[in-house]
Amino acid sequence: MSNIDRRTLVKGSLAAMVAGAAFSRSAFAQSSEPILLGVSGPLTGPNAQYGTQWKQGFDLALDEIQAAGGINGRKLAYQFEDSQSDPRQSVAIAQKFVSDPRIVMELGDFSSPASMAASPIYQRGGLVQFGFTNSHPDFTKGGDFMWSTSVSQADEQPLLARYAVKRLGLKKLAVLHLNTDWGRTSRDYFVNAAKEYGAEIAVTEGYIAEERDFRSTLVRVRDANPDGLILISYYSDGALIARQARQVGLKQVICAASSVYSPKFLELGGEAVEDVHVGTRYFPEDPRPEVQKFIAGFKKKYNGLEPDAFNAYSYDAMNMAAAVVRIGGADRKAIRDAFTKVKDVPSVIFGTATFDVATRRVKGAMNAELVVRKGQFALWDGKPT
Amino acid sequence: MSSWLDYTINGLIVGNVYALVAVGLALIFGVSRLINFAQGSIYLVGAYIGWVAVVQLHTPLPLTIIVVAAAAAIVGLVIERFGLRPLQNSVRIAPLLATIGISFVLDQLVMLTFSPNPRALPSQLPDVRFQVGGGTIGPLDLLIAGVGITSALLLFVFLRYSKLGWAVRAASQDRDAAMQMGVDVNRVNQAVFGIAAALGGVSGMLVGMYYNQIDTAMSLQATLKGVVAEVVGGAGNVPGAVIGSLLLGLVESYGVAVFGTSYRNLFAFLLLVVVLVLRPNGLFASARQAPPEPLTGTFIAPSRPVRIPRWALLVAVAIFAVLPFFPVSFYVLQTLINAWLLGMLALSLTLVAGTMGQVSLGHAALLAIGAYTSALLSLTLNVPVGLAIIAGGLMSAALGTTLISPSFRLRGHYVSIATLAIGEIVSLVILNWESVTRGPIGISGIPPLSLFGYDLVSPTSIYWFSFVVMVALALLQGRLLGSHLGRSFRAIRDDDIAARAYGLSLNRYKSLAFIFGGFAAGVSGAIAAHLYSYINHETFNTQQSILALTVVILGGLGNVVGAIVGAMALVGLPEVFRIAAEYRILIYGIVLLLLVRFRPQGLLGTM
Repeated sequence: MSNIDRRTLVKGSLAAMVAGAAFSRSAFAQSSEPILLGVSGPLTGPNAQYGTQWKQGFDLALDEIQAAGGINGRKLAYQFEDSQSDPRQSVAIAQKFVSDPRIVMELGDFSSPASMAASPIYQRGGLVQFGFTNSHPDFTKGGDFMWSTSVSQADEQPLLARYAVKRLGLKKLAVLHLNTDWGRTSRDYFVNAAKEYGAEIAVTEGYIAEERDFRSTLVRVRDANPDGLILISYYSDGALIARQARQVGLKQVICAASSVYSPKFLELGGEAVEDVHVGTRYFPEDPRPEVQKFIAGFKKKYNGLEPDAFNAYSYDAMNMAAAVVRIGGADRKAIRDAFTKVKDVPSVIFGTATFDVATRRVKGAMNAELVVRKGQFALWDGKPT
Repeated sequence: MSSWLDYTINGLIVGNVYALVAVGLALIFGVSRLINFAQGSIYLVGAYIGWVAVVQLHTPLPLTIIVVAAAAAIVGLVIERFGLRPLQNSVRIAPLLATIGISFVLDQLVMLTFSPNPRALPSQLPDVRFQVGGGTIGPLDLLIAGVGITSALLLFVFLRYSKLGWAVRAASQDRDAAMQMGVDVNRVNQAVFGIAAALGGVSGMLVGMYYNQIDTAMSLQATLKGVVAEVVGGAGNVPGAVIGSLLLGLVESYGVAVFGTSYRNLFAFLLLVVVLVLRPNGLFASARQAPPEPLTGTFIAPSRPVRIPRWALLVAVAIFAVLPFFPVSFYVLQTLINAWLLGMLALSLTLVAGTMGQVSLGHAALLAIGAYTSALLSLTLNVPVGLAIIAGGLMSAALGTTLISPSFRLRGHYVSIATLAIGEIVSLVILNWESVTRGPIGISGIPPLSLFGYDLVSPTSIYWFSFVVMVALALLQGRLLGSHLGRSFRAIRDDDIAARAYGLSLNRYKSLAFIFGGFAAGVSGAIAAHLYSYINHETFNTQQSILALTVVILGGLGNVVGAIVGAMALVGLPEVFRIAAEYRILIYGIVLLLLVRFRPQGLLGTM
């Protein structure tokens, strides 16, 4: 310090500040500052667990992206704002992101009300809202800045129907579904496909997310006398229904949507989920390299923790974001255009993901036919249960 | 026909689960005349302590129960000593709000410690099942039933035959008289909170084992169902709480049997409203029991409101009016838009709860009615948005007042509970009335705000629009409160018997207050609908109602300026604490507690 004249120091830093201000734009583009993505999602409130799972997937993907040299030499980073998945907060966050020049695109929000309430702001602000859990059929209709890797239920449910009706030979079905936009849309796609395959729908029952007691619902199901139960549920309610179904004496085959695919489903369901059939988009023993890399990395980073579907979605979403930013650079509009150009991004859920420019969604989710055997998910061997 | 036996058994089993929470609530209500909204959180804490004991420490079942009961009792004692005892001499609403604040803090602490992922809590009882009807019953079902009924019986014996029990009953009938007779009321309160918390904790653990699942979101549902069961049975009546719970379980089960699963909670809340209207003190209240709230006015803190000079208000309005001309970010404007929308809701509630003394916990329903009306009119009938918003306000005023009118004869806490139920009912009707509301899919593509053919899409124009509407509603309300009508409202609030003796028609004035309040809330909901472009039945939920009440208390009941200041504070605080991410609800809860403790009359005082 003593060697440097204080005045020179002050002058120098002033000059640097002026230069910084004058050239901030161009300096920013090549700076060593990370490229910043905004994330709007729940960290508190009733959906907090999903925000936590998102972070795990994001962080793993970012580790790999950074290790591979980042985005053209720059790091990729995200700023996570807690919306509680509440529309009032997600619109404020949207304004915050839109008016923050460092943010180049946004990921989230979790639920449809929170995401779609913010859509008009992202659209007008010219910032991509990249949803990866947004299966509401209208989400991408919010404008050309709305893109989604959430598997369209129009894509997934017919596969589940095929598994249940054609492969397992169930002819008369009872459908239990979460009574939300997702559950309802899924149910309709499932029912239509199952009917096309020649099955009869004996009863459909919608339940709200907070529901814990399904015994009376299951008596209704029993009285309809189906030969299979279809669960359009998340893992926690799916496990509850399976347990209570066995408790009230229902012995029918249970078939569940991929959303129950989680180690938690086995833990919460215990013996009751034995022999439950699940159509899923990825499976740890799937030999595809994308899947194996994801699982190995995840277990290494999180002390042997098994990843589940939401971890996979967020991991995929971050990789997709990186691929898009690699093409579009740090410019918001160029990033929007990059979504139309990006091709065959390696993906746990899709194998390789390419957007359908008309729907702004990705098609062709992988499907594995699983069954729970000895407390583990296993590929179904074709034997009836 | 055998199915009916199964529905009955299932109803009784789930009724037992509700009873575990309701008994604790009833005990506390009996002594402190307090609906303890933290009871569900103690239940949550008990479940997680149970998890630690079972999964980490491998305790056998009897020891697990003792550990959980002891730990939960300690939590209860701490709540009583540090959360509620300091509020003894403040207004009734203060401890109620404190329990809401405490529940935020407890839920959040559990979430931070254990993460929000659900956990499996294995049952420690053998998994044998006995065939009953078409279904089966296991040992855990019987244990839950045993715990519920035994604890109710033990409590009954305790209250009737033990000395401390007499003291409890004496304190619950007349606190001051009991103190004069030498009863140590604090000790009584402590005992009651300890017992209730121990029960709550054990019930959380048992219910967790029953479902093999615990998660941090289980507390609010438990509180809601517990409150319904307790009030149906007769608030403060312990055996009544058990019978109310069983009845609730049966009604839900039969409701599912006849109408299907998606109607389940609808029947729970309809039962509550019907019981409240026919027997306002619950099914098992004794005829001799004094009315639980002698005067509606006991809710309102005596205070000298802060008089804000007219010029200062004008300056503030002017500053906010010209704010967009200064370089403020859209994020700040959007946050203020949220504040103005919440301000309109708070104006509505402060009139109804503050000026009129009818504390509503279901105000989000008015938002929802306004929002759906305006969205559907503009979307399907192409009504211009400006008119649709007014129609939304009118519809909220008309429908809201009609729905709430059966509760006009209720008093005090019962009004809150009836409005809570009506809020839930509106939300469930929206979910199920698919031909009109589009059910769970919600309404998307709602046209943006517009005025005279011009779309208001920039944050600046939305800011001005909502600000002008809010100021207009506030001026109108200020005028109303200064008039003869406003004085009549306050007269009814302060002493409804005297007001009636003076010749005021209570129902008519209450209707007028709800009509005006409904309009303001409906307009707020309608604007929000056009702002968001997508709404569904979850957009306006119970949390919103509680938030609105917090705003009103914070600002000062009945205080027009206070409502707006409160709205700005409560929209602003979470945004300020945004950097604190996971911790911000915790901070919010603590701030709420401190406010209730040190300024129960609100920032600007009660009018």
